Amino acid sequence: VSARGKRAGGAAPRPEPSDAPPAPIAGAGLNALAIDTTSDVLSLALHKAGRPAGSVYDAIGRRTTQEILPRIDALLRGAGLAPEALDVLVVARGPGSFTGTRIGLAVALTMARVTGRPLVGVDTLQLLAAQGAPKEGSVFHALLNCARDEVYHARFTWRAGLPVMEGEIALRRIGTVAPEIGEAPVVLRRFAPPASGTQPGAEAAFAALRPLPLRHPRPDGERLLTLGLSRFLADPHGSWAPVAPIYLKSEAFRTWRPGP
Amino acid sequence: MTTRGKLAARAPARDGAEPLGLAIDTTFDDTSVALLRGRRGLLASLTLSQFADHAEFGGVVPERASRKHLEVIHPLLDRALAQAGGERGPLPLAALDYVAVSNLPGLLGSILVGMTVAKSLAWLLERPLIGINHIEAHPYANFLVHGELPFPLVHLVAAGGHTVLIHQTDHFRWRIVGRSVDDAAGECVDKVAKLFGHPMPGGPAVDRLALAHAPGPYPFPRPMLSEPNLDFSFSGLKTAMLYFLRDRGLADAGRLGSQGASLPAAEEGPVLAAFFAAIADVLVGKTLRAARELGAPAVTVSGGLAASGRLRQVFQAACREAGVELYFPPPSLCTDNAAMVACLAAYRFEAGRVDDLTLEGYPNLPL
Repeated sequence: VSARGKRAGGAAPRPEPSDAPPAPIAGAGLNALAIDTTSDVLSLALHKAGRPAGSVYDAIGRRTTQEILPRIDALLRGAGLAPEALDVLVVARGPGSFTGTRIGLAVALTMARVTGRPLVGVDTLQLLAAQGAPKEGSVFHALLNCARDEVYHARFTWRAGLPVMEGEIALRRIGTVAPEIGEAPVVLRRFAPPASGTQPGAEAAFAALRPLPLRHPRPDGERLLTLGLSRFLADPHGSWAPVAPIYLKSEAFRTWRPGP
Repeated sequence: MTTRGKLAARAPARDGAEPLGLAIDTTFDDTSVALLRGRRGLLASLTLSQFADHAEFGGVVPERASRKHLEVIHPLLDRALAQAGGERGPLPLAALDYVAVSNLPGLLGSILVGMTVAKSLAWLLERPLIGINHIEAHPYANFLVHGELPFPLVHLVAAGGHTVLIHQTDHFRWRIVGRSVDDAAGECVDKVAKLFGHPMPGGPAVDRLALAHAPGPYPFPRPMLSEPNLDFSFSGLKTAMLYFLRDRGLADAGRLGSQGASLPAAEEGPVLAAFFAAIADVLVGKTLRAARELGAPAVTVSGGLAASGRLRQVFQAACREAGVELYFPPPSLCTDNAAMVACLAAYRFEAGRVDDLTLEGYPNLPL
């Protein structure tokens, strides 16, 4: 008999989102699960009745596909929740590792499909930006370095306790984007700093960035869940478009050329 | 096997009906979903070919294939459930008894999409997960349409990236006795078709010409046919065609496939028929040698190349002469499909041979 068979708790019948009363959701406290597999870290967070009820933040490398469902199962079981008891699902939709992003999306989309619960996608740069807590209204940048001297970049303003993206996420070269950022503070994440050097000047450009002091040392599942829930609660009964991965790089990336 | 990844075999109420299985195959560039009742009750078998999505690249781009699989898999699953349910409305996922998925061999990124969806379904529905070897599944297209076949069997699987001979003595008891050491037969046909300017996949075009024309007097080799083993090699045959065209000033050997050659129209048919005869001679010769050496009274042929009408004719004639029984699936079950995966999974489910959530995906076919 599986762990799933012995799981405590169950899915209480609940009204369809469109029939539910609009106001009390935030106050009632939600059961919610966040999934992030966009890097070599498997990151999960669970809320039960609005309170943290467990999390995972493990550098499991290429074992995501083996680990993800047993770990989600254990997390839910530990909290006495069935998948059907979740009110909201949150998933990191990239950019990041293409394969990793797809694994998280495949799990989250299938959970949403089977349970009928809303799925909210959150960008990974938003997640990085949420690690900081600068002064209200201040401008800063989030940078994600996945390969060589390429960075996914977006500019944020801190408003009412959350990072608000200004403009868009773009794939740039650090040597080009660093001078534009100048003295503004940044949150930088690097998947794999090169062991044997990188493109000339790139390391110097990374080193010249001014890091924002971080309130949260890791872009973990709790941060992802907070961002996802804030999106969900802003429009809890809205129609949720299918969540799609953000790649920002051509699939034929052997011939990919950086834009101007 | 870890305990934490184990799945319950919670069965839905079936009212005496045979088990209902879902199978998913995303091993290469086709997204396939099938629903099977029992061993042969095919309720739905849908394949979404990505062929047009890759045409501009002249070959399958792995990352593009993986992206497309994720985009289409749930809509395809919904369509299969609707088709299987018919007028009574879509079959509910809760009616499934097991979830099967091809976890090798193929493009790993593509495999992981289908496998993660299958694992998630198995976990959510509390049903067994069954990982299937796509190459082992190909011959099950024959079990699906012809019913039980007598063991021992020799299977020729002529699939896109693999040409293999399998000796099977019972369900789940099989070994690979011969395999392509370089290009697979189908790959060789596609590459030669490309030399002649036929768009990918060129197999059907070559087959049409081979059916319509007698082989011309061109000395294409039968690679490894006379060697005392059951392995295949087709890259030399492709090179022989390249030299044949180059000697006529029709192809630049350094630019394989970059320009379609242009033989006089009257000559193309006999040339490609002669080329295909070489392929067919090797496939038939090695398959019948395996049957003889392994004492198998029957052989099956499956995989994409088994859709070839000309290959069927050659096999039929040779097997009749050798007194060997021959089984082919219909062409729609030769190319990649999830129906064959579902059929093998049905046997696995009945035998209790199931996997858990830690199932891995593998790009290669183990030796």
